[in-house]
Amino acid sequence: MRPEDIVFATVMLPLLGAALAFCAKLLPKGRFAMAVEYAGALVGLGLPPLVLIVLFPVVFNGQSISGVVGLWSVGIGITFRFDGLAYLVNILGYTIGAAAWIYSLGAGPKGPAFTGVFLIQTAALCATIMTTDLFNLFVCLEIMGITSYVLIPTSGKPGATLASFSYLMVSASAMVFFLLGTYGFYRLTGSLSYGGISAGLQTISTDDTVLSIVSLALLVSAIAIRVAVMPLYGWLPDAHALAPHAVSAVLSGVLIKTPLFALSRILFLLPSGMEVGELMGIAGGVTAVLGVVIALSQEDAKRLLAYHSISQIGYIVAAWGMAISIGVDTPAGTSLMVAAFLHAFYHAVFKGLLFLSIGTTIDVANERNVYILRDGIGKLRDAGEKVPITFICFVIGTLSISAIPPLNGFVSKTAITYAMKGSLNYYLLSMAAVGTVASFIKLSRIYWPTGKRGRLHIELDDCLGTSSIPISRPPGLVARMTAQSLLAVLCVAGGLAAHHILTIVGTLFSSGGTNSAVLPTIYSGENLLKTGATTLGGVLLFFVAISKAGSTVLHTIRNRPRSFQGLFVSFSLGTAVLAAFLVVGKL
Amino acid sequence: MVERALLLCLLLLGFWGVVAKKNIIKKIFGLNILNAAAVMLFILEGNRIGTEAPILESDLALVVDPIPQALMLTAIVIGVCVTALALALAVHLYQITGSFDIDTIRERVKDAT
Repeated sequence: MRPEDIVFATVMLPLLGAALAFCAKLLPKGRFAMAVEYAGALVGLGLPPLVLIVLFPVVFNGQSISGVVGLWSVGIGITFRFDGLAYLVNILGYTIGAAAWIYSLGAGPKGPAFTGVFLIQTAALCATIMTTDLFNLFVCLEIMGITSYVLIPTSGKPGATLASFSYLMVSASAMVFFLLGTYGFYRLTGSLSYGGISAGLQTISTDDTVLSIVSLALLVSAIAIRVAVMPLYGWLPDAHALAPHAVSAVLSGVLIKTPLFALSRILFLLPSGMEVGELMGIAGGVTAVLGVVIALSQEDAKRLLAYHSISQIGYIVAAWGMAISIGVDTPAGTSLMVAAFLHAFYHAVFKGLLFLSIGTTIDVANERNVYILRDGIGKLRDAGEKVPITFICFVIGTLSISAIPPLNGFVSKTAITYAMKGSLNYYLLSMAAVGTVASFIKLSRIYWPTGKRGRLHIELDDCLGTSSIPISRPPGLVARMTAQSLLAVLCVAGGLAAHHILTIVGTLFSSGGTNSAVLPTIYSGENLLKTGATTLGGVLLFFVAISKAGSTVLHTIRNRPRSFQGLFVSFSLGTAVLAAFLVVGKL
Repeated sequence: MVERALLLCLLLLGFWGVVAKKNIIKKIFGLNILNAAAVMLFILEGNRIGTEAPILESDLALVVDPIPQALMLTAIVIGVCVTALALALAVHLYQITGSFDIDTIRERVKDAT
């Protein structure tokens, strides 16, 4: 079997699974319909990893599988490329997708329609990372967007519908500008494949350079909206906070990163790509710091996590942008790219874990406010959790995101800072790390026992029928625990097997099947010292934040005005700044 | 040149509708106008090399560039999907809050949660 024949299975199998799930929706409700739906999920999420295992030797040896869809000729058909980058993003998508789907069996949203849309989303992100055709990228991004507009309101919260609507409006408008960018490149080069555009741009006259720059700026800012880099982050917090927990995990873990890595394919080839990478790298560093400051001020537990996604995507964009600006063919660039991907992957795992375990806790307690919810462990125990798995999962996730060794977050954050030592972003990211520790101390307070309420107290209340705190018993604890444990194991394994994973990812990103990335020293005394200092700084920052003056500042940040128009103003300004930066750089 | 200027006006009109209108149905109209402007720009582009419909019977030299037209068919389909979904969300918001005004919706949603 040739690899070309099976590479499309990663996109087609989820679509087939979605078709099965929609068939299950047509069938009368019952065991058979459920069996068909689960078969669909198995085909869509279970079989593609097997295909990826088969493809591993091919990609690992430095070969990339590329060609034209449907065997059309190169100028007409849609070109694609399945290489190390696509392979890794596929792994990311299927790992988190499978865990989130298992969690949704317990926590909802249930039903064949959800499974169907979820699988289409998975197919779309695999296609996004594989395509090397500008218009096809537009289509894939739109499918990814449309499925998330559908999935976000399935939580049934009124705010989720509004968040989905705002996201739809800003993202659909931005995609029109993406189309205009596509128009610009087609007009200049008569081609839509990245290779064709890149070749065509070599021969254009200097008069047309401005058009090519403006087109590129339009493409990049439309994608930056999806990635939620500052200042284009406005839609994300509400959407991620109010979506169902399983969907939040996928949105935060996979959907904001896939467009970023798909964008890198364009930037590798185009003449202004390096400058774009430079500017986005700086934006990433700023995003990391501002995101964590706003996260620290939040009182809704899931919104705090959502702002952390923005902050962590800042880390990824900072490393990614720097990699592109110094060129991904150089060893330093490859190392940065490896670090960026590794953090994207590990962030997906620990942030998925955090969203799921916090989701279970707030479902049990019926309370989302970090300042009110206390004694999470006790509440979970009352709901039937004998061993505090959710709490253990939360602790693992927290320690990972706070970069405590030997968990995976420590490895990826160290890899990033190791590769960018001495630059401006290095200091920005170090500041963000302190804020991360502080805000997770704040979040972990929801598990602190209150001391007031023992076991006896509850039983007494129950006997008298005066139980003051309603404890809801969320269904499907088994499915929830399975998904959480899976991700928790990945968190630990990702930390312990760091050396092997770094080598494999490095080889996949280098051309020719040999690892050209510099392996960072993870467990050096200096790094451990820095972790200790960061943790100490985080604890101090936490105490500053809960002091009177700190609370006032955070209250102001939390209640800063946010509006629908703001999304568009920041989009227009962001595009203008990017275009101006590129034009000034060229002249 | 006149066509391009008119399309730019249409584009800005659509963008203004999306951003400034308070009524969410009008915002969706704005999105459609915005989309239509981009579609027409592509069709205009294909028009540069010929004017005949790209049906391969005769006078191949005179036909328009078919690729933009093929692309725009897809873009129109996506536009219809997005519009349908946006309208569904608008109806849902109306059912929850009893209003189509974005500010009122925001306030009532905040109260509801």
